[in-house]
Amino acid sequence: MMTSTDAVRVGTTSAPRAMDTPVALDVNDLRTHFTMPGGTVRAVDGVSYRLHRGRTLGIVGESGCGKSVTAQSILGIVPRPGKVVSGSMMLTRGDGSTLELAGLDPKGKVIRSVRGNEIAYIFQEPMSALSPIHTIGHQITEVIRLHTGANRDQARERAETVMRQVGLPRPDEVLGRYPHQLSGGMRQRAVIGIALACNPSILIADEPTTALDVTTEAVILDLVRSLQDTTGMAIQFITHNLGVIAEIADEVVVMYMGRQVERASVTDLFLRPQHPYTQALLRSMPRLGKRAQARLEAIEGMVPDPFSVPVGCAFHTRCRHYVPVRCDQPEYVEVAPGHWVRCSRAGEVA
Amino acid sequence: MTTNTSAQTGTVPAGAVDGDLLVVRDLVKHFPIRKGFWSKIVGHVRAVDGVSFNVRQGETLGLVGESGCGKTTTSRLVMRAYQPTGGTIHFRDRTQGWLDIPTASATQVRGVRRNLQMIFQDPYSSLNPRMTLLDIIGEPLMVNGVAKGSELQDRVAELLRLVGLHPEYMARYPHAFSGGQRQRVGIARAIALEPQLVVCDEPVSALDVSIQAQTLNLLEDLQARLGLTYIFVAHDLSVVQHVSTRVAVMYVGRIVECAPTEDLFFTPKHPYTEALLSAVPTPDPTRRGSRIFLAGEVPDASNPPPGCHFHPRCRYAADICRTTVPPLTEIAPGHTVACHMSDQLSLTGVHS
Repeated sequence: MMTSTDAVRVGTTSAPRAMDTPVALDVNDLRTHFTMPGGTVRAVDGVSYRLHRGRTLGIVGESGCGKSVTAQSILGIVPRPGKVVSGSMMLTRGDGSTLELAGLDPKGKVIRSVRGNEIAYIFQEPMSALSPIHTIGHQITEVIRLHTGANRDQARERAETVMRQVGLPRPDEVLGRYPHQLSGGMRQRAVIGIALACNPSILIADEPTTALDVTTEAVILDLVRSLQDTTGMAIQFITHNLGVIAEIADEVVVMYMGRQVERASVTDLFLRPQHPYTQALLRSMPRLGKRAQARLEAIEGMVPDPFSVPVGCAFHTRCRHYVPVRCDQPEYVEVAPGHWVRCSRAGEVA
Repeated sequence: MTTNTSAQTGTVPAGAVDGDLLVVRDLVKHFPIRKGFWSKIVGHVRAVDGVSFNVRQGETLGLVGESGCGKTTTSRLVMRAYQPTGGTIHFRDRTQGWLDIPTASATQVRGVRRNLQMIFQDPYSSLNPRMTLLDIIGEPLMVNGVAKGSELQDRVAELLRLVGLHPEYMARYPHAFSGGQRQRVGIARAIALEPQLVVCDEPVSALDVSIQAQTLNLLEDLQARLGLTYIFVAHDLSVVQHVSTRVAVMYVGRIVECAPTEDLFFTPKHPYTEALLSAVPTPDPTRRGSRIFLAGEVPDASNPPPGCHFHPRCRYAADICRTTVPPLTEIAPGHTVACHMSDQLSLTGVHS
């Protein structure tokens, strides 16, 4: 664990691991739709994946692909008029029993005992996730007292432990401060601390490092990894940054227009991408260390309007491998063990 | 109106080499911190604290650093959006010759503005929602008396085509466009007057991954076609490496290293550059490896540490670093670095 005294540390990040631990959450064919006057937006349209204990699942995609709505569906915090219309989300609880999260009343007692307790959520912008008018200490002890029934002193003690765990030195000082008195990195540490206060079995991190500088990002990613090693929690890590995914994920789901287009181990996804969208994304990024290329291979066009998703394969309008008729109904198939692709031409395109 | 010798047209500034377009020397910008009922000045944020660099005709100078390092303030000073506390910014104007932007007269600045344009980070807030694309892109042309009426429309149509948008969109408002398209509108507006220098302030960081590449390619095409020179301010090092000819790294208001792109990325000479490069996530899971984790925070620019600003986070810091500010010295042709230890260190760059 890092403290303020060792100014610089050289660390090694661990290699990707196999998803061979017990399942913590099983999401199956999840569909979340937004019915609006202009039509229905199928924000999440048939997404399936599993979170495993002590492992990290990365979800990547561009804005509007449904990666955040997927996470909101799990916690029952989908903004109106969005609704989970079908699918199941089976949570394995600490005692081994299972709980179906789909269909729970979003304001009910059951989901409220899960939220922030068994499943914690880290938002992208630490400033808007925290209340500006309450101290960090108030916000963290509130969570602890609500879920564990601890008294003031016990909650305070737990809060200090957690703050130390996330690498905030002098916790008593930080707990007395308001969010605006902390820097971006410290704020995000505090948010992570609040998320971890009740020892969640699942952590959903939605773009947790996007608002941070690279040096802070590296430290936060390392922190998340080391916390996972000690607590054994399952992490669902949502980001649009493929570099971050390669750093932290064990398995990756790629989303496009509400659908999963590819799912594979992180190594397979980066070394043997099968879906043209994944391939194009990887090719279009400028890479550090690659000697100056003349031009980037950009993906043509733009993400389609969510009200009029292209029929058949949603990516076909921008795909250079598109073949009429053949690409009209792509199936989601397993092309190699654990490697799923939704493309009719998977295996023949590279 | 201020005139001094350096604002006179045609005077070549000290330190300018043939082919230089912009020569910045000892640029300083302090923002006052005010407190209390009488707004008494209680201190200064040293946003830019003695920055010197040259920009050559036709090149792209990347300006990188973490938030608060002064890279945006530097670019705004070049645009004369702020008046500097000290230092000079000499620009070789196409028609007026060399002049010092901060001390130039109002008339001179009007002329310079045509040749000095800016592309902003957020395409959502940088376009007026009540103006059509014709108004937005046509405004600089009209204000400068370049074109009006049907000629203006033709010129805007041409600009829209140049940035890859349909000329028929001219009558539409920004809300009808996606982020990537809006950024193209911002680019069209910036190049409308065929400027010499374009300051790009984080031009792709608000865009989606698949749109970033398109926009970067567009900027490169325009540079080749119109002979533009860019100052490219960004925090994404892989983007900066891709577009820049040379890169300057800033830390708490100062340039700590400046070098041709490949030298800087493959053989960095400043410990901060090394740490910054090491922190960039690599999109290759088989390359997870050793990383330098910088502890603590970027120092507060109103109260930076003495000596080298980086010394509290530097693993090579010696006694001299705590007391003496290291000067920016040239250690190889075109490679300058501000570090007392630079000749004793062998630092790790990016793996090719």
